[in-house]
Amino acid sequence: MSAPPSKAVLRRRRKILVRHVPWVLAIPGIVLMLVLRFLPAVGSAGYAFTDWNGLTLSANSVGLDNFGRIFSRGGGLGALANTLILAGVLLVVANVGGLALALGLRGPLKTRNLLRAMFFIPFALSHLATGYIWQFIFSYKGPFNQILDGLGLDSLQKAWTADPQWALYTIALVICWQYTGLTMIIYLAGLEGIPEELDDAVAVDGASRWMKFRRVTLPLLAPALTVACTLTLIWGLGAFDQVIALTGGGPSGATETLATMVWKNTFVFGEYGYGAALALVLALIVACMALAQMFLLRRREDKL
Amino acid sequence: MATISLSSVGKVYPGGTRAVSDLNLDIEDGEFMVFVGPSGCGKTTALRMVAGLEDITEGTISIGDRVVNGVDPGKRDLAMVFQNYALYPHMSIFENIAFPLRARHMAKDEIRSRVERAAGLLGLTEYLRRKPRTLSGGQRQRVAMGRAIVREPQAFLMDEPLSNLDAKLRVQMRSEIANLQKELGITTVYVTHDQVEAMTMGRRIAVMRKGVLQQEGPPQNVYAHPANIFVAAFIGSPGMNFFEARVERCEASYQLHLRDQVLSLEPGVVRGRPSLEAFVGRCVGVGVRPENLALVDESSGSLRARVSRVEVLGAEALVYADIAAKAVVADEVIEAADSGEGDTRAPGSTGDEGEVTLIIRTDPSLEIDVGDRIPISVRQDRLHLFDIGTGMAIWT
Amino acid sequence: MNKRYTWRTFGHELVMLVLAAGFCLPLYILISVALKPNDQLFTKPWEFPAQPDWGNFSEAWGERTDPTLTQSLLSSAIITISAVVILIVTGSLCSYVLARRPGRLSNLLYVLFLLGIIVPFQLCIVPLYVGFRTAGITGTYLSMIILWVGVFMPLTVFLYTGFVRQLPRDYEESARVDGAGIFRIFFRVVFPLLRPVTGTVAIMTGLFIWNDFFASLVFLGGTQNATIPVAIYSFVGEYLTKWNLVFAVVIIALAPLVIFFVLAQKQMIRGFAGGIRG
Repeated sequence: MSAPPSKAVLRRRRKILVRHVPWVLAIPGIVLMLVLRFLPAVGSAGYAFTDWNGLTLSANSVGLDNFGRIFSRGGGLGALANTLILAGVLLVVANVGGLALALGLRGPLKTRNLLRAMFFIPFALSHLATGYIWQFIFSYKGPFNQILDGLGLDSLQKAWTADPQWALYTIALVICWQYTGLTMIIYLAGLEGIPEELDDAVAVDGASRWMKFRRVTLPLLAPALTVACTLTLIWGLGAFDQVIALTGGGPSGATETLATMVWKNTFVFGEYGYGAALALVLALIVACMALAQMFLLRRREDKL
Repeated sequence: MATISLSSVGKVYPGGTRAVSDLNLDIEDGEFMVFVGPSGCGKTTALRMVAGLEDITEGTISIGDRVVNGVDPGKRDLAMVFQNYALYPHMSIFENIAFPLRARHMAKDEIRSRVERAAGLLGLTEYLRRKPRTLSGGQRQRVAMGRAIVREPQAFLMDEPLSNLDAKLRVQMRSEIANLQKELGITTVYVTHDQVEAMTMGRRIAVMRKGVLQQEGPPQNVYAHPANIFVAAFIGSPGMNFFEARVERCEASYQLHLRDQVLSLEPGVVRGRPSLEAFVGRCVGVGVRPENLALVDESSGSLRARVSRVEVLGAEALVYADIAAKAVVADEVIEAADSGEGDTRAPGSTGDEGEVTLIIRTDPSLEIDVGDRIPISVRQDRLHLFDIGTGMAIWT
Repeated sequence: MNKRYTWRTFGHELVMLVLAAGFCLPLYILISVALKPNDQLFTKPWEFPAQPDWGNFSEAWGERTDPTLTQSLLSSAIITISAVVILIVTGSLCSYVLARRPGRLSNLLYVLFLLGIIVPFQLCIVPLYVGFRTAGITGTYLSMIILWVGVFMPLTVFLYTGFVRQLPRDYEESARVDGAGIFRIFFRVVFPLLRPVTGTVAIMTGLFIWNDFFASLVFLGGTQNATIPVAIYSFVGEYLTKWNLVFAVVIIALAPLVIFFVLAQKQMIRGFAGGIRG
């Protein structure tokens, strides 16, 4: 081995190397992203102001009519509210639950890997398929009502996914069940990034469990928190598969979300313009909330 | 402030690995005690047991007159400085230093005044609002110290706190820490692998190897009277010279027979060691430090050696000279030399087959050339003899 | 930290196990129902069938659905694997440039990719559908592969870029000094070093693509190329009362993934850790 090169030599080499990473290599990725992600997004925004039905060659501009329809009673307002409720519940439950599970899996547990796998499996399964499992569980003669029966609470029995009051919350439960395993994995990764010496220091400094969590663990998990919250928010706002599998949006629209409305209006009813307008509203909500949340959480991270 | 005593302390990890065996040590109130040894010698494990970060599997540890075996680390009232400082990256320097006080629910004003006092003492006042990552290594080290002293705990525990600093800063922080400790008078246990650090900082040092305490005492004592060949080889830089020699009786005294030379032992050496009798006809390990060898004129030299290398270091020169003798190849010597810093030679290394290189610390103005055959005198009152079988020094 | 296994740890572990068992209860129901004969579906749903009826599986497998289950599994595999491979190759190359040529342009592009993660792909569906129809490729594998590459390119680039930025340049530099060209440097030196994050990308995107229902329903619904979730959807439409058959199909669709996931979860954690720090 020769002696390590001096700093000046390294810097010169770096310059040479930089020139040798040509932009050409990045072009496929950049083009695919622009053409498949941003071009359609912009195009969609264009359709949103028309009454195009997908068949005619030209579309008539209808101004803001589509949006008026969305923000009217009987239109999209119910779906909008449902979407926000699902996302809100998911954001809170999946993150609190995932963090609690991750903390619970620390320590010298013998079945750590098994436990981790068990909590994670729901996330790995097809959302549609698990939706059907839960539909069975919540059906009128299904296992859940049988438990109620066994507890003497048979007066509470109902077809949960067909009940306008409860259907949305059964969907929320299923979504939380699926995503908690993922947030757990993200928080576990974050916990692994905290140096062991800090744990030792906290122990010697004599902090209580709560103080350790509040003042040391949680602040150091800020990056994991940002990732987990952003992902759960985006997925919660886009909830589709589970809704279709559990209720199909019913009963009578009680569990319709923006995502299911986009699909129904566009591909079932052929109202491309209206569907695009719904998608645009969904996109704006997701973008605004995700960016706001990322901004807030990043500011916490920057304190690191 | 308190005494710390370890009595028959041992540590066996769940896998069955033994890290510490039968450690007995009493650390006095206000004393600066250094655990030193090569990596894997159990010094850090011992420290962590005192801190409560490792379970004590055998024996008892007490702080003051309280046995702390089952006590939570936070309830032992100790402060610890970690090798990587373990500063909380998201807290300001102020918050870092204040953290242990907040953990004890101290009043806000009291925290403020204590943190400011500690920061003043360490020259950190202007950095209190900064984050650890914006500070240099030396400053971070000081913050870690600050977090320890702000508590006024029963004792300080320091785990290689200087090993991440560059050489110059290390020397500076060495004396800063030592002075601070003297000023505060708080019992301190300090762990290091660096024997120079141990020698310069400790009021008492405990040399460990493979989980076993080899020797403890004031540094100068350990240096002058190593209990065994490991301690002899580990302490001192450049390390002690070793070679084997056969003990033969010669009239009222003894001689050490090397391959082709004979070193007659002075009466003073022999008088103190009646047990040499038992070694007659057998080989012993002979150890002599570089400063206890001297280049002399033809007439007074007791050994002759051929110069193989000369290193002039300004204030002194190191002369490497070969003699015909058998090297001491005990594990202890090899391990000690491996962990030594700045020692340029393998243990008892042979220049040629059957030769041993001696290092002689001498005056740089002497003119010596490679290849010269030179006479050497040995300061026999500083001569060390070892039983090769057990590695123990022969002092009686 | 005390790493000893005490009674307290044991109690803690027990609580976690009970929780995990509760978490997996729906899977127990899935399996037990799939093995029940028709007349026992709603009587004692919690009981495991005394005599497992394996016939449900062969019956479900043999149902004359269109396309058949085998065909759907094959479609899912073709689409998932092709899209993941294209994503990995183009995404890693793109990230390599973004990470190694810092400057205003690459920063801007990086932000665009980040935005791309956030834009929900429902927004893109109508124009893409129109585009595919114009190109005459609706209902083909190709259309789905293109769609997925577009959807996951931003996430892929985000994960890779974070990782490459942390990668020391020494290896590339020494390869460069040894006279290797850019392709040799990338595919022989850089790409192998990206293995952990490649694993994460493959797992995450592969999982989503395999499980996706929304886009597959829109683009492949009613065609011979329908993927497995669409197949389940139409199967359920026809056999909704026969839960045992439905669940047998679900198990057939899920089994390959569950096995894959239990094996890959460690990799997943490591990759996430890289992504979070990056």
